[in-house]
Amino acid sequence: MNAKVQTVLWVMQRASATVLGLCVLVHLATLIYAVQGGLSAAEILGRTRGNVAWFAFYSIFVFAVTLHVPIGLRAVLSEWLGWRGPSRELVLLLFGVFLAYGGMRAVMAVFL
Amino acid sequence: MRNFALIHRLSGIALALFLPVHFWALGQALEGEAKLESFLRWSEQPLVKASEWAIVLLLAAHLTGGVRILMIEFLPWRDWQKTLAAVATAAALAIGLLFVLSSTAHAQSWPQKPVKFIVPFPPGGGTDISARLIGQKLQEIWGQTVVIENRGGAGGGVGATEAAHATPDGYTLFFPSGSVVTANQYIYAKLGYDPERDFVPVTNVVSGPQVLTVPANSPYKSMKDLIESGRANPGKLYFGHAGIGSQTHLAGENFVYQAKLDAIAVPYKGEGPGLAALVGGETHFFVGNLSASIGHIKGGRLRALGVTSKTEAPQLPGVPPIANFVPGFENAGWFGIVAPRGTPKEIIQKVYLDTKKALQDPVMKEKFFAQGLAPVGNSPEEMARAMKEESEIWKNVVKARNIHVK
Repeated sequence: MNAKVQTVLWVMQRASATVLGLCVLVHLATLIYAVQGGLSAAEILGRTRGNVAWFAFYSIFVFAVTLHVPIGLRAVLSEWLGWRGPSRELVLLLFGVFLAYGGMRAVMAVFL
Repeated sequence: MRNFALIHRLSGIALALFLPVHFWALGQALEGEAKLESFLRWSEQPLVKASEWAIVLLLAAHLTGGVRILMIEFLPWRDWQKTLAAVATAAALAIGLLFVLSSTAHAQSWPQKPVKFIVPFPPGGGTDISARLIGQKLQEIWGQTVVIENRGGAGGGVGATEAAHATPDGYTLFFPSGSVVTANQYIYAKLGYDPERDFVPVTNVVSGPQVLTVPANSPYKSMKDLIESGRANPGKLYFGHAGIGSQTHLAGENFVYQAKLDAIAVPYKGEGPGLAALVGGETHFFVGNLSASIGHIKGGRLRALGVTSKTEAPQLPGVPPIANFVPGFENAGWFGIVAPRGTPKEIIQKVYLDTKKALQDPVMKEKFFAQGLAPVGNSPEEMARAMKEESEIWKNVVKARNIHVK
């Protein structure tokens, strides 16, 4: 893999990490609000359904996870298992797609 | 540096394995209110809680390493400063998440001893019957005794005052009929409690219509007889009720007002004593809750002349709606749970969810149906809204009928 791709992956890894750091803080604040407020399932869904801001935030969260996790695993697979080449990229790509699907499925379930 | 990178990498692998499971479980749970409700209940199990703690620690460890790596690469800080910043970030995150997890500890550990329901009326009335029925089921769910304490008097005011001043630890809950928390504040000049200030809604347990009854040997064979006699003889009809401001009082006053009668209200210490007095012929009629009256009706001691719902009640076939004789007339009673203000929110949420669960039990539904009551089980927020709306209605009725106690 050429140096340009490596650089892009490096930047994406750092950028997604920064986004995730912020997302975790917001997610944490949301959890505290929901738990402390003693919200019921109906009340939680009442707040999330049709809320575009909420949908946008969690979509960004899922997108950042989808980038960050496969890139991180890619380094682990190469350095610790010596796994390189197209098969590794394919497995990581599929893993990323799976994460994106699972994450967005959860987001859509509470938005729609 | 090497240690931080290793921690970051190992925790990252663990989190990467956990994420698909997490997303899958969330996707399943968030598909609907019922599934989310059962997911929230499932997530309270000790094993699930333990795994949540493990994830918190993994997340904190991953962020520690991550922050350290980012600082080395982007910030010209000294080594010890970077380490300190990374550890502080992780510590803040871990404390925050642990706070979230531990905040549910109240609900998980509660109840550890018997829970008391203060019922503001003597035994035998609709409030008492409802409290005992739901208390029995909650006892099974909680594994702790639910004690029903009857504190009658002052239209529910005696029990309400005691409940309002109880320690808000979840072990004393208040089980009123609607009017005690939606009408009494407009009736009594001196009230030992303020429904809005002293209580927080938990859930409306059941609601149902009321029934107007007369003694079995009464000359009034129908609603028409009663209304005609009442109009022909103003001030000669007496109706009993469970106490000034009680649900049965307001129902009676509402009927008298809308039927354009001039009848005299006679307060008793509760619905049970009021109905017993009616059986004994002390009063002419009583607009009582189906739950308290149905036994007397089926037992042949009282005759039902009309129900307060717009249609016939399935428990009393052949008894017409009062609305057939007094157009537009409708009245309903409800019984619910409120908690002294200051009761932990997690406990309020648990009582609400467990009550809702108890009400879904077919046996419970059948028992309430036999009493002429339908399960409600609304959320604390929904109950608060409904109470506010009902409060406005009673405010107007009390003013129109000039019902005041100094």
